[in-house]
Amino acid sequence: MDALNLALELVLMPLVAFVVGLFMVLMMRRIAARIQRRVGPPLLQPLYDIVKLYGKQTQISHGLVHDIGIVMAVGGYVAAETLLPVPGMDGLADRGGLITLAYLMMIPSLGLALGVGQCANPNGSIGIARALTAMLAYDIPFVIVIFGVAWHYGTTNLADIIALQQAAGPGGWGAATMPLLALAGLFSVHAMLGKQPFEIYVAPAEIATGPMVEMGGKFLGGLFVMQCFQFYTAGVLYVSLFLGGGENWLTFLVKAFAVVAIPMCIAFLFPRYRTEDLLKMIWKWPVLLGLAGLWLIMH
Amino acid sequence: MSDLKQISIHAEGDAGGDPKSEGLFTRVFDELKAFCRSRSLFMLHYCTGCGAIELPPAMTSRFDMERLGIQPMVTPRQADILLVTGYVSIKTLKRIILTYEQMGGPKYVIGICSCTVNGGMYWQSYATAKVLNEYLPVDLYIAGCMPRPEAVITGMRQLMENIRTGKADSWKDYYRRYDHYLGNQQQLFGERWQTPTDVIGEADHYGLAGPETIGPHTALLQQHQVPLQPLEMRLGSRQERKP
Amino acid sequence: MSRQSLAPQLEFLLQEIEGIRIHRKGPRRVRVDLAAETLPALLELLKGRAGYVHLSAITCVDWMEQEEFELVYHLWSYETRVLVMAHIRLPRDPGVYLSVYDLFKPAAFFERDIHEMFGLYFEGSPDMGKFILTEWEGPPPMRKDFDGEAWVMNHFNWQAYHPDWLKEIEAQGGGITTRPEDVRR
Repeated sequence: MDALNLALELVLMPLVAFVVGLFMVLMMRRIAARIQRRVGPPLLQPLYDIVKLYGKQTQISHGLVHDIGIVMAVGGYVAAETLLPVPGMDGLADRGGLITLAYLMMIPSLGLALGVGQCANPNGSIGIARALTAMLAYDIPFVIVIFGVAWHYGTTNLADIIALQQAAGPGGWGAATMPLLALAGLFSVHAMLGKQPFEIYVAPAEIATGPMVEMGGKFLGGLFVMQCFQFYTAGVLYVSLFLGGGENWLTFLVKAFAVVAIPMCIAFLFPRYRTEDLLKMIWKWPVLLGLAGLWLIMH
Repeated sequence: MSDLKQISIHAEGDAGGDPKSEGLFTRVFDELKAFCRSRSLFMLHYCTGCGAIELPPAMTSRFDMERLGIQPMVTPRQADILLVTGYVSIKTLKRIILTYEQMGGPKYVIGICSCTVNGGMYWQSYATAKVLNEYLPVDLYIAGCMPRPEAVITGMRQLMENIRTGKADSWKDYYRRYDHYLGNQQQLFGERWQTPTDVIGEADHYGLAGPETIGPHTALLQQHQVPLQPLEMRLGSRQERKP
Repeated sequence: MSRQSLAPQLEFLLQEIEGIRIHRKGPRRVRVDLAAETLPALLELLKGRAGYVHLSAITCVDWMEQEEFELVYHLWSYETRVLVMAHIRLPRDPGVYLSVYDLFKPAAFFERDIHEMFGLYFEGSPDMGKFILTEWEGPPPMRKDFDGEAWVMNHFNWQAYHPDWLKEIEAQGGGITTRPEDVRR
């Protein structure tokens, strides 16, 4: 494709991700409210939050590395969006595959770790240590799942995987042909989103939101934007791998919202696991499921 | 921490700038920002006194505050509203001022309960501060003992209206009249009172300084200010504390 | 063992202290008045030989006209579930007494509190520093010669609070019956 088209797609895909992510965050808050028998925020609440945070007039920064950390946190996801195909736009999906995407999805946590280290707040250091430990936990089943899908379809190119699933119809979706891997993938998506019971790294009342303790104003706005991207990326990746991508925008959005809604409905019924319990649990059940799924598809 | 040097204070001009010279785009953008600020308030979940017991009912399912956009945040860096709920003992007032100075502007202070107005039930006590807005600029008082969640929410909606129309800018008053507030604080806490936040430096940096930012009390602060040392971290048995 | 049979046992034991006066206020409450010098002996007796291992509190009462401080030591026995309240009187003027920290560790906390509020010094207590009123520079506030209200009227300002909702009520004929300005003399 020509350079102008590509440039347009590289701008539009993160924008689409941001807008869809805003509504995913709204959905999460509405689900939480309904489970708690409340009403929940109005329609554009995540947007109001982000505009308000970016409109703060005084800003506390702990140094250049603190600023760079936030840039890395958001930039990692922006780069990841360009590798996730949406109906009509493939971006760079054929140039970088699943492996690049897995690496790019680790950059935000590392960037946040850099920034939090500069903050020199003990709560932040504890929180980010827990976040990186949790990342070590959920990356194992995540990698197993990605490997299984790539092995099954014979390619790491997301656009090809989506095309193969759409050619086979709903019976040929990843969730139908590799059910155990799909279940393990859902587990990792839940842990990746960092919601209860895997939200030990935030722990609001215990370590004062962990890594976000010194982030205020524009930094927190950046982190809210990162949360929108995070929901979108996890949802769309799962849809691309297991639910046949999006034939058109309507089905694509329905599938992505459904994938994000399932962990959210479970999340607000639980307290949180301790870090070592989280590790033990994620290294046991999703990994076992993933390995069993791998064995099934290899035979 | 930086030493307080003799800074030449650029006094703030007309409040807010000349409206005719601002373009249409700036005005629309400011209105949008004010609207979003009024619809998204992060309150600091710092429960100062007994009035804090009225906040959980206002946040939970019966009187849901999240539908107004108000959610609790746990650190002052992330919060917009400092809720001073209940009586303010002098010990607590020190921490409230420390917390207030850590928040990023625009920030709002709501004095909930009658104890912040004129001492309330504890007006005869030697250890409570009576009038809160001598030490901090206060945007709104919600009287009561305690005010019911309906009263708290009505007060919040009044604050949202004030923010939307631009009347809630008392946070700038802290920078503009820092000397006055510091004088009252020094009266309670002594001459050696200092906070880690460099308020005068911030006022100068953001262009919010006024004629009353520097005065006799800030001169006293500069005289007694010592650079802050990091806390010593020790492992092992605790030593006997000196009296 | 029934309660009745325990009662004379305690009183018999307490006779070992000279000059002690015992009032049994109830089946589980015993008040003893004794001289200040004999209190450590009483505490050792009760802790070592009668099982009163729990010091619930040390309270202080300021008898200003008699120029004395009264200290009350509340001791509790888990086995017999009886509370013994030992009252001693100290002269107000030097305002010193010795600490019972080596017998009961929690005494350090109570003695620190009493020192802060009444100015009564306890020799031998590990830490007499301020911890409640850390910003307080005035006289010990729980003494009866300290007039808190006068101190407050001298040191604090008030603000006029006349909000719109009150004006509306007054316009309709209502209002406050007791104005704060009248209460603060």
